[in-house]
Amino acid sequence: MTRMKSKWLVLFIVFGLILTACGGSSDDAAEEVVVEEEPAETLDAPATTAAAAEPEEPAAKVCLVLDIGGLGDQGFNDMAYDGYNKALADFNVEGTFLEPDEGGENRGELLDLCAADGNDLVIGNGFLFAGAITEAAANHPDVNFAITDETFVQGENIRSMVFAEEQGSYLVGVAAALKTTSNVVGFVGGVDIPLIHAFEAGFIQGVRSVNPDITIISKYASVPPDFSGFNDPVKGKEIALAMYEEGADIVYHAAGGTGIGVCQATAEASAGGEKVWCIGVDTDQITTIGSAFPETQEYFLSSMLKQVDVAVYNAIRDVVNGDFGSGSDGGPAVIRENLASGGIDISYTGGYIDDIKDSIEAARADIISGAVTVSRERP
Amino acid sequence: MNKLTIFLREKYLVITPILLIISIAQLEQYSQLTTSGTFGAALRLSIPILLAGLGGLFSERTGIVNIGLEGMMIMGTWFTAWGGVLYGPWYGILFGLAGGALFGLIHAVATVSFQVDHIVSGVAINILAVGAGRFFNILAFDDYEYASSTASPIVEGEIGRITLPFISGGEINGSPTSNILGSLEEQNIILLSDIAGLLYGVTSNISYFSIISLLMIPGSIYLLWRTPLGLQMRSVGEFPSGSESLGVNVYLMKYTGVIISGALAGLAGAYLVLEGPSVYLEGQTNGRGFIGLASLLFGNYRPFGIFLGAGLFGFADALQLRSEESIHGLLIVIFLFMFILTARNIYQRNIRSGVLSGLVGLAFFVWFNNSTTIPIQFVYFTPHLTTLIVLSFASQKFRMPKSVGKPYKKGELS
Repeated sequence: MTRMKSKWLVLFIVFGLILTACGGSSDDAAEEVVVEEEPAETLDAPATTAAAAEPEEPAAKVCLVLDIGGLGDQGFNDMAYDGYNKALADFNVEGTFLEPDEGGENRGELLDLCAADGNDLVIGNGFLFAGAITEAAANHPDVNFAITDETFVQGENIRSMVFAEEQGSYLVGVAAALKTTSNVVGFVGGVDIPLIHAFEAGFIQGVRSVNPDITIISKYASVPPDFSGFNDPVKGKEIALAMYEEGADIVYHAAGGTGIGVCQATAEASAGGEKVWCIGVDTDQITTIGSAFPETQEYFLSSMLKQVDVAVYNAIRDVVNGDFGSGSDGGPAVIRENLASGGIDISYTGGYIDDIKDSIEAARADIISGAVTVSRERP
Repeated sequence: MNKLTIFLREKYLVITPILLIISIAQLEQYSQLTTSGTFGAALRLSIPILLAGLGGLFSERTGIVNIGLEGMMIMGTWFTAWGGVLYGPWYGILFGLAGGALFGLIHAVATVSFQVDHIVSGVAINILAVGAGRFFNILAFDDYEYASSTASPIVEGEIGRITLPFISGGEINGSPTSNILGSLEEQNIILLSDIAGLLYGVTSNISYFSIISLLMIPGSIYLLWRTPLGLQMRSVGEFPSGSESLGVNVYLMKYTGVIISGALAGLAGAYLVLEGPSVYLEGQTNGRGFIGLASLLFGNYRPFGIFLGAGLFGFADALQLRSEESIHGLLIVIFLFMFILTARNIYQRNIRSGVLSGLVGLAFFVWFNNSTTIPIQFVYFTPHLTTLIVLSFASQKFRMPKSVGKPYKKGELS
């Protein structure tokens, strides 16, 4: 009897181990993406066929570590991944990308793993990497690191790529103010942190610049240390529904995956009466969320574009070309993307704001020329 | 009439806060407290918690602690997306049920057959489910567009919604009917409009899935308290060796309980997917399984109590998402309620409790009087805080199943 039982126990343990092994490996295992020779290129240029047949030594090895939310957030992480893929296609680069576990606790380990694996460039996508990347950069002084959205890091081998989100948000604020008929607009933030405050601040200033009497309702999905607000569409939907009920007819979100719920609420609120709008963020979300969730497509007034893909692409390009550069005084090299550099923009896809294009372009010119300065601090 | 007085005397701890909330809601800035929108959101937010709580009920009633509800819920979300992407949303629900039940089975094998510590097994399931979700997702959706390791493709098709005709203005054959509750709500009559708001919120634009979920409450009451199977299941949670001596198959009952538990948690996951973004996302459950477990305690291991607990949490959550001002209004409710408690305690010569509740009430009064808003951290914490406060002040007698959490070996006297 007992022997029977122990046999079963062993079987069960083995079964459990296999399952956990699978789960574990998917948690931190790399999904290797090795560049393959493009057949089109070899066809067009027969001369290179011989070279392509023998695998070339890659010019550089890069590693991209995404942040919580991961691939499929139709925004920030997907963009970084796009830029990385584009660089892999354009340059002779070997690439690896990793996603952290659910809570993102293993960021540091993933960075170390990449650095120890002989990569020339390790990119941490998101400000939450700040602590981990400073540490990893100190441990691996001969490896280049790059981080998005954060300058508060230490290490000459780090490039930080930051964006003037407030400028783009100002432009969509102008668009919202010109398009609203109810004079109430909403803002949904993911997590109540300074980075997202910059979106809100820019949006408020943009709206106020057109009409100071417009009411702006703001709400965040969660407060730190709870970062679930970047990935909780259920909450995003309820927040946005409440805003539309309160009379808002345009809601701008800067909430990662939570934004999916926001724009689904837009479609739902529109079904019950007058057409209302949502404004996307990071990517041109009429083509990302709009394609993945077709029922939301016609409700995207515009999107604030934060071209993380360009920054990631440029970082990889610079490593390949050998002009990655370094910061002085022990600090990081800082790349600032804004309206002037083109890293921040507003989307006209869908054609819903074509009629007010002149006003928006005037606001853009004002910001670029310095006639208007947009603050990152909320008024 | 006598019955009513007895009812009021017994339940005034529940009734007074509700009346207080209704009175506060008459003030313009706190009107969100009782609108139909708030109640509709509260219902949508509480259903996953309710289902998880009911899941916990079935498990714990048969004597198995199920801290793995969260993990089973995660499996529910993934399997729902899988079934939904392949065959449509209704099959998604079935897949979700099965996925949750599968992990329920794992928990049952570990805890019933191998007498593994219930907590250890439950925690293991929670950890396993997160990894398994990502693993399965990569495995199943590798070739799909818009899918990744942490998100599934979209589930096409909808479950469908209904608005009650005549009472809430639903359509019959495409023609609109009268909307009695909706117009009552707009009248702003004390009490009447608030109750109309509540009823309108839960009868208009309600998903069939919500109705199915709510039917699980009478369903569980019937199964556990009105059928021989339910009696056997409950007896196993109270006194397993006694049940066995009467011919009950203890292991089978425990297996049944835990598998139903997993299936209900899976259903909760299905709700999150199909009534949420229609995709599986990693971390979508956000700890709702644990809140479900709390609602089980709150509800004193009874289905309707679980509904109340889940509803309270959902209501507080809806409030904090919809209107931060009305959270400030809740402070009034708290200090008035504390003063009523003080009066009761002093009347009952329970001086020490009276002074204590009086002081707490005074503190809240001072807080309310000297502030116009609530610190943002408290706002987000409101649902948890409310549940905590109500739990500690509702001096109910907890009556958990006697042998819950104890390992049971066949043929041994427990």
